[in-house]
Amino acid sequence: MSSGTVHAVDGISFDIDRGEIVGVVGESGSGKTMTALSLLRLVPEPGKISGRILFGEQDVLQMADDEIREFRGNEVAMIFQDPMTSLNPVLRVGFQVEEAMDAHRRFTRQQSRERVVPMLQRVRIPAAKERVKDFPHQFSGGMRQRAMIAMGVSNEPSLLIADEPTTALDVTVQASIIELLRDISRELRAAVILITHNMALVASLCNRVIVMYAGRIVEEGPTRAIFKNPQHPYTWSLLRSMPRVDEVAKERLISIKGVPPDLAKPPAGCKFHPRCRFRIDKCFTEEPPLGEVDPGQLARCWVLMKNIQDPESEAMR
Amino acid sequence: MSRGTLIYAAQRLVLISVTAVVVSSLVFIGIHQLPGNALASERRLNPATEQALLHHYNLDLPWPQQYVLWIQGLLHGNLGESLVNMGTQITPLLLRETTVSVTLGLAAVCVTVFVGMTLGTIAAIRQNTWVDYAASTAAVVGYSVPSFVWAFLLILLTVAPFYNWTGGTFYEDIGWGKPEQIPVPALALGLPYAAIVARLTRASMLEVIRQDYVRTAWAKGLKARIVILRHALRNALIPVISILGPLITGIITGSVVIETLFGIPGLGKEFVTSILDRDYNIVIGVFTFYAALVGLANLAVDLIYPVLDPRIRY
Repeated sequence: MSSGTVHAVDGISFDIDRGEIVGVVGESGSGKTMTALSLLRLVPEPGKISGRILFGEQDVLQMADDEIREFRGNEVAMIFQDPMTSLNPVLRVGFQVEEAMDAHRRFTRQQSRERVVPMLQRVRIPAAKERVKDFPHQFSGGMRQRAMIAMGVSNEPSLLIADEPTTALDVTVQASIIELLRDISRELRAAVILITHNMALVASLCNRVIVMYAGRIVEEGPTRAIFKNPQHPYTWSLLRSMPRVDEVAKERLISIKGVPPDLAKPPAGCKFHPRCRFRIDKCFTEEPPLGEVDPGQLARCWVLMKNIQDPESEAMR
Repeated sequence: MSRGTLIYAAQRLVLISVTAVVVSSLVFIGIHQLPGNALASERRLNPATEQALLHHYNLDLPWPQQYVLWIQGLLHGNLGESLVNMGTQITPLLLRETTVSVTLGLAAVCVTVFVGMTLGTIAAIRQNTWVDYAASTAAVVGYSVPSFVWAFLLILLTVAPFYNWTGGTFYEDIGWGKPEQIPVPALALGLPYAAIVARLTRASMLEVIRQDYVRTAWAKGLKARIVILRHALRNALIPVISILGPLITGIITGSVVIETLFGIPGLGKEFVTSILDRDYNIVIGVFTFYAALVGLANLAVDLIYPVLDPRIRY
């Protein structure tokens, strides 16, 4: 087996306000999940986190075991991709929600116990009073994800990270889960990071979008601006690679050639240049900084899409 | 316990009784095919006395007839009378000895489960550290050393000093029944199996601690102890339980050796003594009890499953 250092995530930084939903998009392996797991210091072995991970003023890496434990699920809660495997099969659903509250000092034992049913009702689990005693295998996929959300928000965290919360669910269930996430973030005034590769979901739900590629943020900005005027060729290609219902099929879909780079041997210069249709010589040698292209919109590119006359035909060449 | 479980247990109990009857019949038939008769090894008897004795035990009848009589007795819970000690009823004797063996066996199972699971869990959460290597080495050694060797080692280490202090053998001379006599033979009986359980628990734990729900437990901010014991170990034990059945069988049959070595008046010792004495009635009785014990132990293990894993229902 070969070993080597893979910088899965490098120099990520962004702001998020209470009540705001930020979408983090990118291909598989672009470091979305790693960013979220690092924030909770849950990167699986043999992964290592170095440098600093700041949440507000607190450095997550400097926390003692007790502090990080108190931080997890209390300050920052996380909802995972696959609700079928994310709940413990041998413990009752209600107990697993109660336990999340019991782990922290926000509520007394008594309060935790009394809050379980209301929490399940809040995430719209029907007949919550009876189902609180059910085991996960007696729940459907959508219900399990609801229970996960109940568990996540039970301590009223200031940040909720949802890692592809609907990927494993039926399309019909996806919509209701997304609706639930939006409502609950409003009610609790929690900040939400939505990790996904579903652009449609981002468009309908998020205030802001962060686009990641090879462990870096390549573009960031308000959702409208990103969808209307993507400046990074990667964002542009991502958006051009999906069909849109609201536009007549006037354009051909454009695919992004190649695969994401092997992060054990990242390319020099811009990490996207091997797959970029608009690269210039500078892209091969120098990595561009994340610079402001419009108020509130940042992109990591030497070229920028606004400087390209006719990207469609250029891309078709 | 749910209704389904009770029905399931009842069915299994019927099957166990059938098995015990079949086993005892096979032994009965087998033993009566041996040359000579039960009194052959006795010193030369007066022919009239011998005839009277044979008649007393129905041994003068053709064996199919003896079998019918014997089965009738068995169905009434009567295993007959000892050939060597005339007048000793076998059923109460074996019941008494079974309590001794079951006590020892349960203690051995506790050793196995406790030592095995602790070692396995520690090895798993300290994977690839010296703790893991030490635990794994101990497991290989424990497994490779048969229980009678453990018995001798433990006797040398613990019982031998007692022997000098008490001026006699530790177990036979002071009798059996004191709680402090249980741990040493239980260790000898349980340790080799503890090694198996340790290796299985380690493998199972390593798989479970990578599961999504364990990550969820960490992400909730639970204490490490709760994550490991409540979330990981409970799930890791489900596959471990499945070897407890064959393992308990091993412990039960292993008790034959251990009880003889330690002089413990249990079923295992009776097994050896009765064969040496050619006390055929007792031999058949012991086999019958063993068959039932193995069946009951496996049933008990199967009844643990639904307790550990709510997805399993009978």
